Amino acid sequence: MSSNPTDPMAMFRDAVTQWEKMANDFGGQFLGRPETAQAMHQATGLALKAQQGAHEAMAKLLSAANMPSKADVEAIAARMAAIEASLARIEAAIAAPGVAASSAAKPKRTRTPGA
Amino acid sequence: MSETADPLDIARTEFERAMQRNIKGLGYFASPNPVLGASAKETLIARGTLRLYHYRPVVDEVFRVPVLLVMATTNRGYIFDMVPGQSFVEFLLTRGYDVFMIDWEAPGPEEKTLAMEDYVLDFLPACVERVKAESGEPDLSVIGYCFGGVLSLLWAALHRDAGLKNLITFTTPINFKAMEAFQAWSDQRFFNVDQVVETFGNCPAEMLYTAFSMLRPGAQIAGNVRLWDNMWNDEFVKSYRMFDRWAVDMLPLAGEYFRQTTKQLMWDNALYEGRMTVGGRAVDLSTITEPFMHVTAEHDHIVPAAASAPLIDMIGSKDKQAVVLKGGHVSLVAGANAIRRLWPQIDTWLGEKSL
Repeated sequence: MSSNPTDPMAMFRDAVTQWEKMANDFGGQFLGRPETAQAMHQATGLALKAQQGAHEAMAKLLSAANMPSKADVEAIAARMAAIEASLARIEAAIAAPGVAASSAAKPKRTRTPGA
Repeated sequence: MSETADPLDIARTEFERAMQRNIKGLGYFASPNPVLGASAKETLIARGTLRLYHYRPVVDEVFRVPVLLVMATTNRGYIFDMVPGQSFVEFLLTRGYDVFMIDWEAPGPEEKTLAMEDYVLDFLPACVERVKAESGEPDLSVIGYCFGGVLSLLWAALHRDAGLKNLITFTTPINFKAMEAFQAWSDQRFFNVDQVVETFGNCPAEMLYTAFSMLRPGAQIAGNVRLWDNMWNDEFVKSYRMFDRWAVDMLPLAGEYFRQTTKQLMWDNALYEGRMTVGGRAVDLSTITEPFMHVTAEHDHIVPAAASAPLIDMIGSKDKQAVVLKGGHVSLVAGANAIRRLWPQIDTWLGEKSL
């Protein structure tokens, strides 16, 4: 890289660019090694198991307290999503004639590339 | 920069910049995020994670064929509509296109069962029908970005009579084995995708963000140093904030969809190998015969050329064009290069095919 030797900031910027390239190259190589991927996923796997255990314990606790669990809330949300989808379909069906009625206000669809 | 610049001038400039950095740096931390995606639009469909927007036309006469943008499921669609002057949506509107966009909200926990079938056989067809109803036209052009391009391809191959007029894909992967870093991290021997989905339901956005960040481990630190260096430069700061906000604003992926993507595409490379099925239906990209444009970025670190370039040969169209432009995965569609190079090229290609 050819920076102006009398401009320390230009040299600094070049150095940052070179450091970034080096960090990306070496970091990418290191992170792309199978051993790194294995270690990363082992750690993630352990964390996931711990989280799974906590979820199960919490579900039991909520059940004992006669309160809805995460799964129960998800089931209600899924039903609400289904209702929302039905409403969207009804809304679309109702809106269809309105679309035609309001078409007078829409732009003409006659444009050509030279326009 | 001139090699013979006066050291006194350099020192004076740097002193002024240092002052500006201090003054504007305070403003940077105190000011709110920029408003992005503000082009006037109407929401036509809001169903769970799915959104379909119709942008308000800004000219009196538009091309007959409407344009549907399909955003990647990992990110927000406002990359296509950053700010006035730097918005692909605004560009298309002013050039006379009737613009629609499929965008995504974070899937809720109850949407963890959403699968590829929901996206390709339900969401996209529903949006296409709505675009046709809204425009009153029987056909449309589709532009897919990154994985939005994959969804567009799957939809196009499986809905031959749906009215596709033109298809454009931006930085769309096809050979997933060529995405080396993602391959290493999703190595079937070590990565238990089932465990991730069973535990989290949906794949967390943080996990995806970490994976994307790890592609360039030095980028964040170097980016922050450059931000400090350029704090005096309002344009740089504005641009940095926009792109930084978009990059961190990632979406979780629906659990089943993430599981399928990992197994079918990352592990089996099924789309490239011709083994891809959606809902039991085989996908054959050679059945796509409409005009096709495939745009890739020369320095794309997310979807490298080897992962995206083979797509052009797999499409059955006679009228097809591969475009390779300078830039990266994001700057290709929204940076200065996009404004100068990509958008005008899209307009020229699409305009004459939108009559």
